[in-house]
Amino acid sequence: MNGAKKTINVKVNGESYELSIKPKMTLLQLLRNELGLTGTKQACMDNSCGACTVIVNKMAVKACSVLAMQVNGKEVTTVEGLASKDGKLSILQEAFLEHSAFQCGFCSPGKLMSSTAMLEEMEDPTEEDIRRDMEGNLCRCTGYVQYLAAIKSVVQKRKEGKR
Amino acid sequence: MNERSVVGKPLPRIDGKAKLTGRAKYTTDIVLPGMLHAKLLRSPLPHAKIRSIDTSKAEKLPGVVAVITGKDTWGIRYGFVDTPNYPAEERPIAEDKVRFIGETVAAVAAIDPDTAEDALDLIEVDYDPLPPIFDPVEAMKDGAPQIHGEITRTTSCAWEDWGVARKSHSYTPENNVAARALVTYGDIEKGFAEADYIREDHSRSPGTSHMAMEPHTMVASWDPFEEKLDVWMNHMAYELKRYWLHKTLNIPITKIRIHKTYIGGAFGGKAPCFDYEVICGFLSRKLCKPIRIELTREEVFSSCRNSHRFDIDVKTGVKKDGTIVAQHVKVIVDAGAYKCSAPVAMFLSHAMCDCCLDRKNVRHEGVAVYTNKNFNFARRGHGAPQMRLAADCQYDQICEDLGLDPVEFLMKNLRKKGEVIPNGDRLDSFGLPDAIKKSAEAIGWKEKRGKQRDKNRGVGIGINGMFSGSGYWPFACTAIIRLNHDGTITLIEGDCEFGQGADTSYSQIAAEALGLNLEDVTLISSDSELCPMNYSNFLSGGLFVGGGAVYNAALDLRDKILKVASEVMRAKPEDIELKDKKAFLKSNPRRSYTFTEIQRYNIQKHAGDPLFGLGYKKAVPEIEFYPSLSKGTGRFTDAYGFTASTAEVEVDRETGRIKVLKIVVADDCGYEINPAAIQGQMVSQAVQGMGDALYEEIMDDEGRVLNPNLVDYEIPRAFDIPEIEVIDCSDFEPKGPWGGKEAGECARAAVISAIVNAVYDATGVRVMKIPITPERMFNALKAQEK
Repeated sequence: MNGAKKTINVKVNGESYELSIKPKMTLLQLLRNELGLTGTKQACMDNSCGACTVIVNKMAVKACSVLAMQVNGKEVTTVEGLASKDGKLSILQEAFLEHSAFQCGFCSPGKLMSSTAMLEEMEDPTEEDIRRDMEGNLCRCTGYVQYLAAIKSVVQKRKEGKR
Repeated sequence: MNERSVVGKPLPRIDGKAKLTGRAKYTTDIVLPGMLHAKLLRSPLPHAKIRSIDTSKAEKLPGVVAVITGKDTWGIRYGFVDTPNYPAEERPIAEDKVRFIGETVAAVAAIDPDTAEDALDLIEVDYDPLPPIFDPVEAMKDGAPQIHGEITRTTSCAWEDWGVARKSHSYTPENNVAARALVTYGDIEKGFAEADYIREDHSRSPGTSHMAMEPHTMVASWDPFEEKLDVWMNHMAYELKRYWLHKTLNIPITKIRIHKTYIGGAFGGKAPCFDYEVICGFLSRKLCKPIRIELTREEVFSSCRNSHRFDIDVKTGVKKDGTIVAQHVKVIVDAGAYKCSAPVAMFLSHAMCDCCLDRKNVRHEGVAVYTNKNFNFARRGHGAPQMRLAADCQYDQICEDLGLDPVEFLMKNLRKKGEVIPNGDRLDSFGLPDAIKKSAEAIGWKEKRGKQRDKNRGVGIGINGMFSGSGYWPFACTAIIRLNHDGTITLIEGDCEFGQGADTSYSQIAAEALGLNLEDVTLISSDSELCPMNYSNFLSGGLFVGGGAVYNAALDLRDKILKVASEVMRAKPEDIELKDKKAFLKSNPRRSYTFTEIQRYNIQKHAGDPLFGLGYKKAVPEIEFYPSLSKGTGRFTDAYGFTASTAEVEVDRETGRIKVLKIVVADDCGYEINPAAIQGQMVSQAVQGMGDALYEEIMDDEGRVLNPNLVDYEIPRAFDIPEIEVIDCSDFEPKGPWGGKEAGECARAAVISAIVNAVYDATGVRVMKIPITPERMFNALKAQEK
């Protein structure tokens, strides 16, 4: 009923995998159930909240709405891939920590991935750019203010670093 | 006040690294070997008899392990309110009747979620539809369909175990009335006779979703050899859930272990007992296998608790100068199919509001009514947001009618610091006057109020007061602190971390008392087997009661360390100070002993006695069991938190769209243990309150939820956020840990009223039904033009 299994090759957080999967499996299911990368969260199941955001070839995508087949031959980064393996947080993770930019933390991985992709893409995003870009990431606890400030602080730091 | 080095500082949260790297474990992340997945079949009808259920086809589907129906769980009852007067009537699976669309009628356990889902389609239920009733006023009329027959007491709940005397009795609700409340003081007839002006208004608050990001999930694993149930679940206090599982499944309470997981948001919506929890435990024991149930977002909206729908009539009498002399409130709570916390909500709508203004003569009537809709529970404020909307918007209108200033009106009618209010609570800390003044200043009240209608702009104000825990069940907490070999401490306490920052704040409270740094605290929390008794994570009792127990435990350990230090150093305890894992003489800091040395000394000299701190705290020590829900008598809480909020809005008269320009939250939380966490709580409530005022409503048609997803149920997004200013108006609370009290619930209600009142100021049109959607605003503006 589910169709024959297919083989895909994918790089996740720098490690290469060859996986045999059912065609209907989503990227979210692949990450959480097959690879045990539970940092990526499932909250709405219908592409509306952004909690499952991951980066596929530099682009932020919602993993619940992408089939695992579609990442064949691609590079995926999840929240587990942001910090260095020896425990050094990324500049955005540090900023989130400093700005108390999370509460329950369930949507934080998605926000981190969206903002990481945005800061890769945009050199100097304005406040409006940031808000527009983060609109797809719902949050019920924080009221958004502290994490928008965290992202802005990273933009600011980058500017200062370049001076 | 001595200088403090750990509390009062915006320290980074101790759960941060785990949560920001994806390592934090939530219930949805728990996977156990051999785990099965269960799905629930939900009723498609709002009111029907179940003639029969045929599960044979579902059972034959490969991969299905078990199918259960109400026949398997027959007679199991539970409820948030389960008292001699109001015995519980909720059940895990419908028995002979369904009462709302979304009620569970069967459950399937299978090897994977898809198979379980497929099996649901193969279950055949033969329903005999009954006439449904959706409107609470209609439901109370003679001849309306009766939703409940006799409610018999079968399974009992926590109250009994805490010594509440109860006679075993059954009752049959009349005219679908689930519960009534009547609170009175003074003489309202006399009060209204003295009034120069009387106004009557009606307001309506819809059902809304808590919308916690983590969907309701539970994993249970029954060990048939130890006869023990291991549980990972979404909760807000493991003691409550453990009681319900113990009572409904008849498993000894110490044979149920609720493990710590981080909770992905709660806001009240995860505190009561749910059908899926009982079913999860039931299936695990029946099959001797781990069972996982994760609800879909649609199920969270349609079958889990939402906030209470309130209709409120308020009649208020005032003197010409604005002095309130009498108030008569009639509250109708649309309970839905089961009462859950409706009896509490209608009582709290009085109790939480009585601490703000002196209304002199009050009559508060509440009725909770059964209807054929999903039923409800507390959401961040439990009854206060609905009541404050009714009262604060009426005060605003009274001021308009009499030419008074709303800020001056509130200041004139305020209660006083130190006052004992009618139920006996004393306002030891009362930052509300300061909050009203500062919130008004920050929005530019004097320059703007009533002066910007030509620009379609306006400002408004709202206030609120909120318990710091109350006297239900024991509502008490214990904490233990172990002094470790290296001079650090291990704090052991039960509160769960659902985002509010309990883990960090409590660690700060303990570290401060012992002169340690936050890094010196190892925390063991939220595990029912490792932690001592804990009832505090709801009704905003967390910091005051749970944190209070931690504070007392730290003081206990401090006293013990000082006692030993004074013995070793031959000095008086009061001449010794603790800092950096050392005890030293204040007069000669170089004369010091490390905590390690002190611990070693005590163990050697005192028969192996190690140094431990033990602390406990009860929400309201004077309350033996609980205050009367139906009469509103008896003490409610030991400390109230207060908020005043102001807002500025701009209304587009062409489209009805309302833009919030600024929200000010001025809050009295006693003392900011962690200012960054408090800032987070206030901004959070400002944004949730904005959602309530303008966007959020669970829409239903004939009992069916029309918007059970995050596209159609709109909550504020990053782009919608206005300027938000948070002002600390803390008034030191003498009974709170380091002066702290409630912080997480109070502000939401004040923000809703502030925005609704600002809309009036901008337009001259009063909309008393929230959310004020563009459509509602547009229609109200059109009606004004006529």
